[in-house]
Amino acid sequence: MSIAEKTSTEQTPQTSRAEQVATPQAAARPKPPRKTPSGRTLLSFVLPPLVVLVVAVALWQALISVFGVPKFLVPAPGDVLAEIGPAIGTLVEPTLVTMGEAYGGFLLAAVVGFAVAFVMARWNVAERGLYPYMVLLQTIPIIAVAPILVVWLGPGPTTNTVVAAMIAVFPVTANTLTGLKSTDRNLVQLFAMAGATRRYEMGVLRIPYALPYVLTGLRIAAGSSVIGAIVGEFVAGIGGGQGGLGYVITSTAQQLLMPRLFLAVIAASCVSLLLFGLVRLVEVLTLRRWHESAMSHDD
Amino acid sequence: MSASPSTQAPPATDLVRFAGVTKTYSNGFTALAPVDLTIGAGRIVSIVGPSGCGKTTLLRMAGGLSSPTTGELAVHSAQNSYVFQDPTLMAWRSVLANTELVSKIRKVPRAECRRRAVEALRLVGLENVQKSLPRELSGGMKMRVSLARALASEPDLMLMDEPFAALDEFTRDRMADELIRLWRERRFGVLFITHSIREAVKIAHEVVVMASGPGRIVETVESPSPPQADADAARDTDALDETVKYIGARLAAA
Repeated sequence: MSIAEKTSTEQTPQTSRAEQVATPQAAARPKPPRKTPSGRTLLSFVLPPLVVLVVAVALWQALISVFGVPKFLVPAPGDVLAEIGPAIGTLVEPTLVTMGEAYGGFLLAAVVGFAVAFVMARWNVAERGLYPYMVLLQTIPIIAVAPILVVWLGPGPTTNTVVAAMIAVFPVTANTLTGLKSTDRNLVQLFAMAGATRRYEMGVLRIPYALPYVLTGLRIAAGSSVIGAIVGEFVAGIGGGQGGLGYVITSTAQQLLMPRLFLAVIAASCVSLLLFGLVRLVEVLTLRRWHESAMSHDD
Repeated sequence: MSASPSTQAPPATDLVRFAGVTKTYSNGFTALAPVDLTIGAGRIVSIVGPSGCGKTTLLRMAGGLSSPTTGELAVHSAQNSYVFQDPTLMAWRSVLANTELVSKIRKVPRAECRRRAVEALRLVGLENVQKSLPRELSGGMKMRVSLARALASEPDLMLMDEPFAALDEFTRDRMADELIRLWRERRFGVLFITHSIREAVKIAHEVVVMASGPGRIVETVESPSPPQADADAARDTDALDETVKYIGARLAAA
């Protein structure tokens, strides 16, 4: 009985019970293309933070009215809004300066950070030699190093860019290195057995595998580089040219021009947000098809 | 235990021959006591044994990933393919690109890479998901891609390290049938590691029973129902059950 059953299965493997239940063809039917966010889902993303914002601003306004906080300590939301008109002319230029420094530093950190991680992943001796100093670079308070850089490079955007890069480079290197070194062991073996060169393995396997890690590093670096640029501006000042937002923040604070100070802080956040958003966009575009971190999870 | 008459001609050469091979790691751990094992061309040899009995060490040696401490190892296969427990696919590459991988690395001309990959995917029944990414496939289908990748390099020896262990029992059974079907078409030699005695007996011509501490071969058992060249041939399931029981007892006693 069981032999006969077995035999019939062997004769017609294509129509065996197993195949009927789940033929590869049936299971392989292409999934419907992912829906682009509809109006409703977009709203469900935008609405919650918007509500929080409105509540927070209302609370801010209410607290100031109730306790009668003076304007030179905490400006009301209305005061900040009213300041936009008169201040806009004096804020655009500093915002662009800070943007240039922060983004320049970010790019520098991205290139240097990736290159250092690459070298460290390729040669173990380089990792052992360089890693302690990467950590050291990260642990030195940047605010303590900035004056040294001012002495060496002079005050101004160059110094601020370097400070931004210094603070942003470590997350890029650390994440990239982790990515390059955590490639699936079996895939590495497979490449080795097939006779792949180190270069081929790097380009085809390790770097694509590390991409999600690289982008995580860049996302952290995006925030850090703006901090670096502003810290640089605190210390280095304007250096003869036009000052950035850091300079606006220190000078308005000294003069207790609170609404303008608030606007400068908001502008700095926007500089940071924009860069963060750009990195996230690249992340989603490159990874959404295959990596969990960039997939939409609404289905 | 009467072995079914084999319809295939005796192998002209052996693919792999271990003669008194031992392996001792640098930390002093003896993974393998002297082992003798031969894999003939077109033969399916499965290995069962407890964890740490040196199964994977044998496989790695046959694949050139590790070398014996003492003894002689002769590998005559022209082309090895390794199949891992996990599908081990590149998540960012399509099914087709994953299947082409090994041939591409070996600098096989592009058109030929493509032809082999398409043919291999057809053999495992995945010709219509060539453009899909691995994450869009089920576990069983991913394993098929892994098999297709191995097939696409046109191996004469397949080294399989618990290839179906991560699958559910149902899919696992089907994959074993699949492997036999592919073997009928291509006649590669196979060294197949598994924890399932039934799978080992069902798939192989011979089952190598290993024991640990140190890793050694206890016995080599001829399968009562080796894979047939002819798909229509009946396979004696009673004898298969008996052999499974026998090997189970041998493993328990070792």
